[in-house]
Amino acid sequence: MSMNDEMTLHMRLPASFEHLAMLEPCITTMLRQAAPGIDTTLRYNIILAVHEACANIVEHAYQGQPDGQIAMACMLTDAPARLEIELHDTGQSFDLDQVTLPEPGTVQEGGYGLFLIYALLDEVHYLPQPGGNRWRLVKYLA
Amino acid sequence: MQTVITTTCDVAVLHLAGRFDAHEVADMDTWFREATTRKPPRIVVDLQRVTFIDSTALGKLVQAMKHCRQHGGDLRLCGVQQPVRIIFELTRLDRAFAIFPDEATALETPWEPVSL
Repeated sequence: MSMNDEMTLHMRLPASFEHLAMLEPCITTMLRQAAPGIDTTLRYNIILAVHEACANIVEHAYQGQPDGQIAMACMLTDAPARLEIELHDTGQSFDLDQVTLPEPGTVQEGGYGLFLIYALLDEVHYLPQPGGNRWRLVKYLA
Repeated sequence: MQTVITTTCDVAVLHLAGRFDAHEVADMDTWFREATTRKPPRIVVDLQRVTFIDSTALGKLVQAMKHCRQHGGDLRLCGVQQPVRIIFELTRLDRAFAIFPDEATALETPWEPVSL
């Protein structure tokens, strides 16, 4: 896969499920321009993982608060080719280590979001901080 | 999300198109509640034209499938395309759902009670 110049995309979206549909065209456009050879499945997987992280923020950090915001920065870098996504929210934090992930093969009605984020990405960091929580998600593209 | 609902031989068929996610799933709650009141509840969800499925929508399908099976029926999936299929494969729910290549096969295959 050949990459063009390094690129950073910043966006801020209302923390509602309705607005998460905006992630797909934004990330797709960025990847098409900066990494035109990227595999369709890889692109879909990245979008799904970012969607799940944002859905987690909407549901658990803001818990339906209507005025919540999600700030996102997507950084594409070469050598190594990788996409780093930072998400920032000012909602409730949680302890990532206390979350029990579903065992593959068990038939559950919920709880797959975090499982998918881990499964689809190479690095997942969650940093609860004073004034807000930060997710750092990394996917290597080569 | 576009939806088309048909009923064929006591089977409720739901054709979805576009995104099936946490936002859209709320609109499907009423339909699933009504469709699962049939005895036995038999549902086919056609995902051929679905371009995106998230974990919330997946959970809704699991919930409806469990309800159908607990009442002697089933919820079958058909037309699951790549890359949408990845969510079923990673969670291994592709082994829990009865997944058929197309609607005709899903409808024609005999309906027998399925244990959870």
